[in-house]
Amino acid sequence: MQNNGFLKTREIFAIALIFVSLKATDSTPTLIAQKTQNATWMVPIISFLLILPSFLLMIYLLKKYNDKNLVELFEAVTGKWIGKLLGLVIFLFCMSALMFESRNYIDQIKVLYFHNSPMEIMFFLFIGVVFFGAKKGIEVIGFTAWISFPIIQFTAILVIVLISGEVIIQRAFPIFGSGLEQVLTQGYSKAAIFGELFVLLIAYNATKESRMFRKGLLLAAFVGLIEIVVFYFVYITVFDYNSIQKAAFPFHDITQFISFGNFFTNIETVFMIFWLFAAFLKFIILIYFTAWIFGTIFNLKSFEPILLPISLLTILGGILPFNSGLTELVYHERLLAWLSLFFIAFPIVLWLIAWKKGELKA
Amino acid sequence: MKKYWLLMIFILFLTGCYDRIELEQQAYVIIIGVDKTDREGIYEYTFQIANPEVGTSANGGSSEPATEIVSVEGGDILSATNTANAFVAKRMTLDHTKAIVASEELARSDDFMRVIQVATRSPQLRRTIQLIVSKERASEFVNNFEPLIEKRPHKFYQFLLQSGQEIGFVPDATLHRFFQITEGDADLFLGIYTTTILEEVKKNHDGVEDDYIAGEVPQQGGTSTQFMGSAVFKEGKMIDTLTGEETRITYMLDPTVDMENIMATIKDPLDPNFLISYQYRQKKKPKISVDYHPDKPTKINVDVYFVLEVVAIPSLIPYPSDTEKAEKLQQAVIDTLTEKTDELIKKSQTEYESDPFYWSLYVRSAFKDIPEYEKADWHKKIYPNAEIDVHFHVQALEFGKTIKDFDLRNVRD
Repeated sequence: MQNNGFLKTREIFAIALIFVSLKATDSTPTLIAQKTQNATWMVPIISFLLILPSFLLMIYLLKKYNDKNLVELFEAVTGKWIGKLLGLVIFLFCMSALMFESRNYIDQIKVLYFHNSPMEIMFFLFIGVVFFGAKKGIEVIGFTAWISFPIIQFTAILVIVLISGEVIIQRAFPIFGSGLEQVLTQGYSKAAIFGELFVLLIAYNATKESRMFRKGLLLAAFVGLIEIVVFYFVYITVFDYNSIQKAAFPFHDITQFISFGNFFTNIETVFMIFWLFAAFLKFIILIYFTAWIFGTIFNLKSFEPILLPISLLTILGGILPFNSGLTELVYHERLLAWLSLFFIAFPIVLWLIAWKKGELKA
Repeated sequence: MKKYWLLMIFILFLTGCYDRIELEQQAYVIIIGVDKTDREGIYEYTFQIANPEVGTSANGGSSEPATEIVSVEGGDILSATNTANAFVAKRMTLDHTKAIVASEELARSDDFMRVIQVATRSPQLRRTIQLIVSKERASEFVNNFEPLIEKRPHKFYQFLLQSGQEIGFVPDATLHRFFQITEGDADLFLGIYTTTILEEVKKNHDGVEDDYIAGEVPQQGGTSTQFMGSAVFKEGKMIDTLTGEETRITYMLDPTVDMENIMATIKDPLDPNFLISYQYRQKKKPKISVDYHPDKPTKINVDVYFVLEVVAIPSLIPYPSDTEKAEKLQQAVIDTLTEKTDELIKKSQTEYESDPFYWSLYVRSAFKDIPEYEKADWHKKIYPNAEIDVHFHVQALEFGKTIKDFDLRNVRD
């Protein structure tokens, strides 16, 4: 692992922000809107509030057990085998996220921009680029995320500014969408959309000081939440509650809609480039951290060689399901619901065990 | 080894050529016309294709016409573009389509939603496409296109629609709005009404410049394509037409659409033989407050604020310098507007049982969730029974750049 203590708060912040906030641009909002209609924008807030205590607890534990990363912490608290098992669950979560989400992103690119290109080729290309990016190691990833941070954020803000003319605030009403109960249950069952924050904890010791890591990650979590909520709010106020359920890729629907005055119409490609750039970064981060988790579980000295098999597995898994709509609506939905409980509960269990063992006193 | 790597990298780049298509291989469809045929589920599609070479300085000498118009039958727009490629050399592309024109016959039938739904599925058809209803068959409308000055069809339609929307004769009828309103199952959508068949000048017309629908505007010279007024859609089906004047009122009362200056005339309150022209400008969005009552009529209160700029006073009555007269004029404008608005609202409540102003948005906050809101039923229960009050407020009265008109007595001395 190339780590010379180069990473600081800002790199971790940039990594975590791109990782989390890109959720605003994929099919997740549509998935949530199926149940909650125009209250979709509230769901991430509820999810975040549900998962935040567990997440803070995790960070607290990591702070107490100095010099350990996520999986090492599991092993320290619950013993070697159960710890490895927990690590494996996180690894499987990463793997499934890789497969489902890469498929979703490829679908977006294919449907919207490259109708004729075969999906397999695009998959190989996409994951190929991601693989070479991930090969460069955490410090290059961190640096790339940081230097691309301004331009990606700028284009995101530009999209919001250009679409703001189409936003009709009244569409946010009736405020509770399809019902308060629905919003709350969705908030709970989609809590796993912030589960990726836990994945990042594997890099706890990657920064110069762990204080920087905590600061960067927490800051990114809050900023990411705000970005997600703003985008979701824009989607429901632009599309209204019946149409958002039908738009599979609301972000691209919006970029196709906007124009820069009368002369610059059809400008979606500009946004697509930066979105694609962010998507590459997201998957580079995801694939790298997945390999890292795997490496820690199996005590590999150097985990970078397994990036290749993980990349190939991602391609294989991603190509498998034939109908992308089905993947997104059925499998991903179920997976998110199961994992939500896991992400909310396991830090509490860990903390209880550690507390019982009396290891938190120091 | 390095050489092989280089080769591999080139192969990687070549994959970008899968979707490669040169500009000159594409035929940009500007207008899609849709008509009914005798057979169910089969429609006639008319595509107007722009010639991008025309109007560019690089290729000035080209003698090709600016546009090509083809018609084919098919089940939906996309498959029809394929069929049309049997005799159109270039590949049909819908990325730059400006408008979909449906014949009134089709728009009034139940099939209209079937034809239009394809637009949400394909990324080629954009949400900014305008929805136009033609009085005649759409194929006839498209074929009657014969502009004199602006021969490039995409510019022609863009400019004509844009100016119409800025002055309020035609509604802002994007596909996006059509889907929002139709799927929202409340309110009326207004499509652009058009024709190329000009009628005899409407009898007993009171001389106001915008009380027409397309085809009735008396014109001499120019092209025969007229955009004027709107086609009223309820639940995805056309039910009626509104005149240009009524369309303007919907602009005034609907905060979700943008409006530029509207030029209008009223009878001179002090000398009914003359007309006074004024510009109507809304600096502020109208304020709409809906007071929902489940068991008695809902109260809808609308406050419209506008700036009144008088541009022509042919009667030469000194309104600018006389506050009393100015106030009379101001009141006359308000009265005229209120009267016409009330007429339209009454018509929409009794005849359409829904509103073309997108007011259902403002009742939403009275409900806590969508099932409750849908049960209250804007179309059937809330709007037709509502008590609606519209108040016009003049924010400022301006008289252009002259303070005083010349005195006719002095001139003809």
